[in-house]
Amino acid sequence: MMEDIISLKNVNYSYYGKIPALKNINLSIKKGEMFSIIGLNGCGKSTLLHIINALVFPDSGDLMFDGNHVTEKSLKDNSFSMQFRQRMGYIFQNPEIQLFCPTVFDELLFGPLQLNLPIETANERAEQTLSYLGIGYLRERPVYMLSGGEKKRVAIASVLTMNPDVLLVDEPLSSLDPKTQTFFIELLLELNNAGKTIIFTTHHLDLIDHLQPRVAVLSEDHTIRKAGTAAEILGDEELLISVNLIHEHIHKHGNEEHQHFHSHYRFHKH
Amino acid sequence: MMNKIPPYLIQISDYQYNRAKTKRAELSFLDKTILNSSKAVKSIYLQAENAACDNFIQNINPKVKFISLIYMSIVVSVVSNHLTQILITAFIFLLCIIARLKLIEVYRKIFILALVFGFLVVLPASLNIITPGRIIFNIVSFNKPSHFLIYNIPQNIGLTINGVQVVSIVFLRVLNSVSFALLVVYTTPFPSFIKSFKMIGVPDTFLMIISLAYKFIFILSLTIEETYFAFKSRLSGNIKSNSIRKLVGGRIFFIFKRSMIIYNNTYQAMVSRGYKGKVVIYSQNHFTYKDFAVLVIVVLSGIVFIIF
Repeated sequence: MMEDIISLKNVNYSYYGKIPALKNINLSIKKGEMFSIIGLNGCGKSTLLHIINALVFPDSGDLMFDGNHVTEKSLKDNSFSMQFRQRMGYIFQNPEIQLFCPTVFDELLFGPLQLNLPIETANERAEQTLSYLGIGYLRERPVYMLSGGEKKRVAIASVLTMNPDVLLVDEPLSSLDPKTQTFFIELLLELNNAGKTIIFTTHHLDLIDHLQPRVAVLSEDHTIRKAGTAAEILGDEELLISVNLIHEHIHKHGNEEHQHFHSHYRFHKH
Repeated sequence: MMNKIPPYLIQISDYQYNRAKTKRAELSFLDKTILNSSKAVKSIYLQAENAACDNFIQNINPKVKFISLIYMSIVVSVVSNHLTQILITAFIFLLCIIARLKLIEVYRKIFILALVFGFLVVLPASLNIITPGRIIFNIVSFNKPSHFLIYNIPQNIGLTINGVQVVSIVFLRVLNSVSFALLVVYTTPFPSFIKSFKMIGVPDTFLMIISLAYKFIFILSLTIEETYFAFKSRLSGNIKSNSIRKLVGGRIFFIFKRSMIIYNNTYQAMVSRGYKGKVVIYSQNHFTYKDFAVLVIVVLSGIVFIIF
């Protein structure tokens, strides 16, 4: 039985104490697990990732990381903060905000150098990662001269060079072309097979089908409606309708126009 | 995947957390500034958006509020009696209570502004160097009076009655003007308030630019906050302030570039919706009997304050 690497207990969070974002969230994520948080836009998925990465702190409730209580106070401890940030990498939905160094290579070196790794090791990691992600040709390119897909690859590479145990990925397929989407899906599978814990948010049910993670469903009232295996969640049509992840609509097949539930996934049935 | 996974990614980190040997990590002042500025701008925006809630003062026509603001500013400037100024302070406080504002939060901002612009800036005027008169509190004494450039420095320097009166009346005027202005701002949605500027002939294009700039501040604050989170998620422990400065420099360039893109996209969106260089702003705020009544009450109160 694998131990929990992350757990949240009775977590509540609101913006400015007024607008609720998360209500009574209880989650346990095991080491090496692939875990997904699904729900509609605005239900609190990204906020939940921010809380897991201790970028914001809950109004009430607890965040535990590998047996340690994570709070604003505990992160003021240099050693703990370094361990926490090294072991948890966050790939933001918008790669642009994540890239802040002059060139791509600087970007890849940034994390290892923060961890006080020798420059030779940092260089080696950066070179290997450039090669692994197929972006060696971008080595000296300024980040503002990259395309959307390239920025995403560089953002991933900049996190991977820190060799985190846990990868948080906000909307992995957002704004990516089909080829880069496929690349990203395969990458997540490979990293998970290499032992990394992957936690991602999405509202694409087909991604859940591809990656078969354990899933928590966030509803529009900002609570977790259900957690279970990908098969259990995808098989629960009533649940997916209730959280608006599948919906009824009219469309055409040839000359025939009809109405049915639709999710761009398995509920596209007749 | 075409390429082989790097060996270091397969290694399990062997980081040992030793609580006994740790040092405290501190946020740099730049981190704090970025986060706090972002929070401040967002809270102002939210307050303005919340100003549309269903309440007596919130429901008054923005044009009435705008006229009242100008009128009360004139009244506050004209009144030179301390007691009347204090009565105006009490009147505005009463209006804030009726508007159900968060009094501590609002008055903290009012007092900070009044303290800086109505007290500290004019404080030297309370000294006998600037406002002659009978000294009521001696600060420093010299052997004899002296002359420096164009200034006559008296033997005793201190606060004079006339000086204190000047400072206190300026302080009360600033306090009342700021509190009435904030009352209007906190109870009126920003777009409606801006539209009421049309009454004094401000062109639509100018109003559009103000509205866009206001909206842009919010987008910018979000960008700053997101950037801060991205920093925070990859910074472990303390790093040299030199490095932080370099990063922030790069981010300033990024935000500038992003601003240019947003401006350009906004302009294109306007063009695609029929913009040809002249903005026409829709403004539907009909005066009701209640609005007229409020306007009459404000005007009469002003007259009473001036006469009193």
